[in-house]
Amino acid sequence: MSGSFYFVMVGHQDNPVFEMEFLPAGKPESKDDHRHLNQFIAHAALDLVDENMWLSNNMYLKTVDKFNEWFVSAFVTAGHILCTALDSSLYGIKNFFNDVYDLYIKFAMNPFYEINAPIRSTAFERKVQFLGKKHLLS
Amino acid sequence: MAQCVQSVQELVQDSFVPMVAVLCSEEAERVTRKNNLNFAELLRPFCRLTSEGHIRDPSNQVQLVKNLRICVNNVVTSPNPACAAFSPAQRRLLNEVVSSCQPQEGAATNVITAGDYDLNFSDHCVKASVPWYSAWRQTLSEVSTSKHYTATTPWFEAYRENFLQTMAASEHEFLNHYLACLLVVSSTETVPVEQFLKLSQEQHRIQHSGDYTNPKWFIPNTLKYYVLLHDMGEGGEQRADAVYEDMKQRYGHQGCYLLKVNSRSSSAEDDEQMPDPWSQYLHRSNMQNQEDEDAAVSSGPAENNTSAAEVDKHHATEKDGASTGLEGHPLQLDTASSPGSLHALSAEQPELKKGGRDPESLVGAAGSHGACLTLNDHDHIRQFIQEFTFRGLLPHIEKNIRQLNDQLVSRKGLSRSLFTATKKWFGGGKVPEKGVSEPKSTCGLLYPPEAPELQIRKMADLCFLVQHYELAYSCYHTAKKDFLSDQAMLYAAGALEMAAVSAFLQAGAPRPYPTHYMDTAIQTYRDVCKNMVLAERCALLSAEILKSQAKYSEAATLLIKMTSEDSDLRSALLLEQAAHCFINMRNPMVRKFAFHMILAGHRFSKAGQRRHALRCYCQAMQVYKQRGWSLAEDHINFTIGRQSFTLSQPENAVTAFRQILTNDSRQTATQQGAFLREYLYVYKSVVGGNEDRLPQLPLPCIHSSATRVYFGHERRLAEGEKQAATHVSLDQEYDQDLAAMWGHLEEQLVAAANRGIVPASFQPTQCCLNSQTDNLRRPLAVAEEPIIVEVTFRNPLKVPLALSNLKLLWKFTAEGASPSEETAGEAITNEESLTEGMPQTDTVVTTQIILEFLMGPEETKMARLQLLPRRTGQLSIVGVVYNLAAAPCAETAPSSEGQQAVDFMLVRGRQDLKIQGPRLNQTKEDKMLVRHGLDRRLDPIITPPMPLMEVFFLQFPTALLCGEIRKAYVEFCNVSAVALCGLRVASTHPDFFTFGSQGTTPLTPVSPTSAENCSAYKTVTRPPGSVASEMLVSAGDFSQPSGVMDIPIDGGTLLPGESTQLPLWLRGPDHEGVHEINFLFYYQSTEKGTQISHRVLRHTVFICASRSLSVQASACRSSVPPHHRLDDGGGGTLVFVDVENINTSEGGVREFHIVQVSSSSQRWRLHRRINPASDRDCKLTSRERAKLCFRATRCRPPPAASDAAEKYTFADVNLGNERIISSSTPCGDFFFRGCRSPESHRVGGTASRTSSSSRIQEGRAADISSIVKKCNELDLHIIVIWKAYVVEDNKQLILEGQLHVALQTLGKEVTSLTPKEEAQEMVLLKFKPEAPAPVAPPSAELSQLIKTNLHYPETHSHPFVQESLCVVPVTLTLSNCSSAPVDVLIDLRHKSPSPESVEVHGSFTWVGRTQYKLQLEPQQVLCVTLRACFLQAGVYNLNTPRVFAKPTQQAAVCETSQQAASPALIIINNA
Repeated sequence: MSGSFYFVMVGHQDNPVFEMEFLPAGKPESKDDHRHLNQFIAHAALDLVDENMWLSNNMYLKTVDKFNEWFVSAFVTAGHILCTALDSSLYGIKNFFNDVYDLYIKFAMNPFYEINAPIRSTAFERKVQFLGKKHLLS
Repeated sequence: MAQCVQSVQELVQDSFVPMVAVLCSEEAERVTRKNNLNFAELLRPFCRLTSEGHIRDPSNQVQLVKNLRICVNNVVTSPNPACAAFSPAQRRLLNEVVSSCQPQEGAATNVITAGDYDLNFSDHCVKASVPWYSAWRQTLSEVSTSKHYTATTPWFEAYRENFLQTMAASEHEFLNHYLACLLVVSSTETVPVEQFLKLSQEQHRIQHSGDYTNPKWFIPNTLKYYVLLHDMGEGGEQRADAVYEDMKQRYGHQGCYLLKVNSRSSSAEDDEQMPDPWSQYLHRSNMQNQEDEDAAVSSGPAENNTSAAEVDKHHATEKDGASTGLEGHPLQLDTASSPGSLHALSAEQPELKKGGRDPESLVGAAGSHGACLTLNDHDHIRQFIQEFTFRGLLPHIEKNIRQLNDQLVSRKGLSRSLFTATKKWFGGGKVPEKGVSEPKSTCGLLYPPEAPELQIRKMADLCFLVQHYELAYSCYHTAKKDFLSDQAMLYAAGALEMAAVSAFLQAGAPRPYPTHYMDTAIQTYRDVCKNMVLAERCALLSAEILKSQAKYSEAATLLIKMTSEDSDLRSALLLEQAAHCFINMRNPMVRKFAFHMILAGHRFSKAGQRRHALRCYCQAMQVYKQRGWSLAEDHINFTIGRQSFTLSQPENAVTAFRQILTNDSRQTATQQGAFLREYLYVYKSVVGGNEDRLPQLPLPCIHSSATRVYFGHERRLAEGEKQAATHVSLDQEYDQDLAAMWGHLEEQLVAAANRGIVPASFQPTQCCLNSQTDNLRRPLAVAEEPIIVEVTFRNPLKVPLALSNLKLLWKFTAEGASPSEETAGEAITNEESLTEGMPQTDTVVTTQIILEFLMGPEETKMARLQLLPRRTGQLSIVGVVYNLAAAPCAETAPSSEGQQAVDFMLVRGRQDLKIQGPRLNQTKEDKMLVRHGLDRRLDPIITPPMPLMEVFFLQFPTALLCGEIRKAYVEFCNVSAVALCGLRVASTHPDFFTFGSQGTTPLTPVSPTSAENCSAYKTVTRPPGSVASEMLVSAGDFSQPSGVMDIPIDGGTLLPGESTQLPLWLRGPDHEGVHEINFLFYYQSTEKGTQISHRVLRHTVFICASRSLSVQASACRSSVPPHHRLDDGGGGTLVFVDVENINTSEGGVREFHIVQVSSSSQRWRLHRRINPASDRDCKLTSRERAKLCFRATRCRPPPAASDAAEKYTFADVNLGNERIISSSTPCGDFFFRGCRSPESHRVGGTASRTSSSSRIQEGRAADISSIVKKCNELDLHIIVIWKAYVVEDNKQLILEGQLHVALQTLGKEVTSLTPKEEAQEMVLLKFKPEAPAPVAPPSAELSQLIKTNLHYPETHSHPFVQESLCVVPVTLTLSNCSSAPVDVLIDLRHKSPSPESVEVHGSFTWVGRTQYKLQLEPQQVLCVTLRACFLQAGVYNLNTPRVFAKPTQQAAVCETSQQAASPALIIINNA
């Protein structure tokens, strides 16, 4: 699992708004049995994100939780959309969050997008994928 | 939440109690056996003391001992295994304890609301302690529940209790070493005292011989307490008393006791409700016994096998877990495995059930306990324990504490400090018996039993046991320091642990609970000593203490840290406790709770605790469900499904699997395939039961609102040459506009059928119902006519599905069924039950079955299911029923084996069709709420049979030239058993076709076959002549009142099975392009009062019209003077007809021939042709243009008949050899059809034009213009009949057709091609009203009032030499063209304003009267003779007289100059 990375944005009802998995270039398709674990860990970490976000002035909360070898870092947007990333290596994650936040703001400006609704946009996906490659996997 | 019923203090205290050993003589054992108990067991329920005891500490302070419990055990000398880990037997025991303790089904639930989550806990505290103790306990638990959530986990408590009990005594602590020994001898013994002696020696041997490492003893001189057991049932009470007296003498009254039991004979069966305090202790102890015997052989070989297998499996899973270890995942979802795994599981299941030991049954088998004991005996035992404790045990402990204290105090002065000092100086040079190499002492060194360091620990333990925690703490503290300095880690950890515990237990709490002591202790136990059992004990205690101090977060961390790979059961329980800690925090961490519940569930399932695993997953599910974490949800559902299935709760399993399948799944195809197979398998096993209703299937999804219902037969579109009416079919998309159009046509038809009135109850017929149609009322279906329901299925999965035996489910209520009938009033349904066969329902409604229906991955597919109602009544379609199977994948070869597998995976189920009506949006409530209307499209009413007509078209063309006339045939068939009548048709293009009219219809062959190459027209041979032949026809013969046409069938009715053919003439539309032409046929039953008043049949054709000819016509007054005319009557008019071939010859049209030109008008007629010459045919090849010229004359004034106005004169001028009688059917019909529609258009057009003129002048202007218009009005319709020669497939065909041109006014050119409609309909917005257009005198029209002709000799010779003046008479003929008297002013003096004209005719002048004022009556012709005077020879233009005219009545209108005609030249020669 080393080097791979899971990113999820969570809406106000604890619902995943956007999910993405990043795999390092050399690695083949991730094993299916890990996919739900990512969700479990990220979801469990939300409790700690809720706790930590009131303790800090920053949007970026650094590492909030840890499960086995997975570290969970979090970012809380102004609209209280929680972004959570699961990774074993933490380089560039802050930049990644900031860039995705930028992207999300633009996306959320779309009057046809309802806040909290799952994001089903291939363009958004592609851009996040690109950001992930740029900040996390390089 | 693991809310223990005990308080934490009590729990900790009870974890460490004074241990008392029991040695029994055989006889005494026999006595107790009567109660099905041994002596230790007999005492066990009474081991808690209800009264308080006292003890004096070394400083002589009185210490209160309350609520003390002692632990009585038989002496077991078998060697205890290593204490660093549990033996398999111990593990098994713990496993069974946990699995036997389950939450009660259906117990009261607690709801915890945390954030926006509501969590339900059905667990329930079930543990009641000793009966007489319950009142106290209740208050206690109430106190604790008021503060905390009350979800309890009794299995955890049971586990903990057993865990603490099964812990072996270890070297480094003394707490569970035996302090005392009860020597029990029966009074029936011959010499009891000897027995006592024997037992005493036995005890001594066990303790001091060194043969046994077990049991361990606290102090070298163990307290021996002599108990004489007397069986009341066997009598000899005096003897017992005597022996007891003797014992008192011998051992002192504090060292012995006479216990009298068994007051009741066991045979006495009058079982009053005796409390059985043993039951809750005993199954456990039973197992303990088994364990002690080290094998569970009693249950027979079969059970042994399974349990062994289970253990093996358990090991295997554990190994699995270990091997995948860290890089592999703890939560593996092994779903991709074949369904075989599940089958294996299920096969195992019955065995499991057999093997699962029921605690109740076990206890029951053992029989009831204490059968020989009365309540009095219970009291005796209780008194005995009290006596023993207060008189024997406590003083003994007190004594020992003092002794130890004295020893320590005496040594303390020098040795302690010296000891430590030397150690310091020599760097631990004196290390006593270092046992690093010894196997058990991984924790450092081992002290000999009498080492001074242990003495202090011993004293601490004693103090602890008698609840003197303050002293205990200080002792532990001291001991800890010593051990640490000796690097005796195991000992140090033990001391730390106990120091922390005693600090916690100190009343008044002078110091805070030292958490770090505990942490260090746990860490040391675990990491240094590798002793997980001790670490676990320590963690359990610490967690409990932390929880009591509301430090849930720390407790959770501690518990999570204790999970490890070596024991799944422990990990599971601790994770579960940690989860409960999370939810008990001040801000409950629900999500953490859920996650740890999942982890716990996973561990439970690895440990073989299926029930607990299921419960954990279910509880966690409450947090995850419906939040969109689909993968997590799938995992949980899958686990729940599997566990439920193995626990034989297949209904739950089905629900769980259904969730996975119906959720928006993000799993891969193979995963989904596996899920589907498992679902089917589980489902099949559920349905195997005896349910009378088929269960609902979740797959495929039905898009119920897209359901369409079609009433009637499926149409055959073509049958040989016949082409059936298209009608409505399910293949058509619904179109709102089209539906409105058909509705409008139907309304017209109904109005026509009901003498122009549309009944109020009129409702357009809907043959096909869908979500957009009006479904508020129940549709009407006809018996013996099928109902087709199209159901839209969607396969949400990435794997194909195979449906089979698909059919509709319905319910039928017969109409007005008399109660005598067996089906009276009751709904008949075709619902099949699994037990009995299909009921005979085909007589009511025949249901069609689709045998196979395959659905590809993620496919949406429609299934058309048919019903054929046979009786009248009310039908409602309930749902569909089908077999569901996973379709075989493409790659698997369809071998016979595969086929079997498919059969095996076939399940039958149903799905209901529930259609929600449209959302209401009428009232305010509707808008505020979400309300839905009714949708009855699936509840048809079956009415008695109705006529059913089919319409076929023969020789119906698809392409026509504009204006082409074609004859086709139409066939009407009554295919029902009921006669029909009232046949009518309405169309969007009524001018497209005609059925002919009575009287004028030519006798054409009725059958189409003989009509080859036969003209559609009625013809008469007639040589081409220049003069027209005329015919007077009444319009009433042709015209129809509206767009609705009656169809002239013989007798007006069609009998059942009858069919009739009618000719039908078609005329190509005037505009080129593709035309959609809709016919709506109407018919009704001959019977009156049917529920369905009428029926309709739709037909839509597309006609491609291509250009043929363009006809341009204009008329002008002929300038021929009236007396030249051959005929009499009003003025003659010249009609010019320009015909151009505009066909873009791709259709192979060679040439057009103008065959005939006819006219039709009420007042005018074509009289003769002028051009071309009489014998020449008019032939037009591509793009050729011909000009025809005709003279038209006024009709003879019609006889003064009443319908004169309606009479039309048809005049035919044929150019070929045949005259086409234009007044007869196809030609006349189309003429009238054709002229009706443009007229109506024009009326609309003029109306709008007049509205723009100003109001004031309107009246006057209208007057003039009407007169003027009348004058210019021609109203002559020209019909150009042509023939086209077309080569098609090397065959020459002759097409014929007619074009209409309506000449309304003189001088205006009219064309048969209407100019292309401008696409741009938008008008610029105008903000200012336009200034009203000034009413210009319609000079152009007024100038046409009077026609003038000049008559003069063309040349005139005059000898100017003789006479210089030449006077030539010129006749000016004035004819009034209008129908009103006109004032005319002729002015000869008028000079032309243009200078050149002055020059031209400056040389001639009019002589004589130069101005005339005349009045001309209507149609009057007047000649005025003028004289022109010429002065010299030359060419002169005589047309200089100015003629002004105005209608007589119109005084105000100025006179208008009449046509400035062409020059009239005269040549004057000089003779």
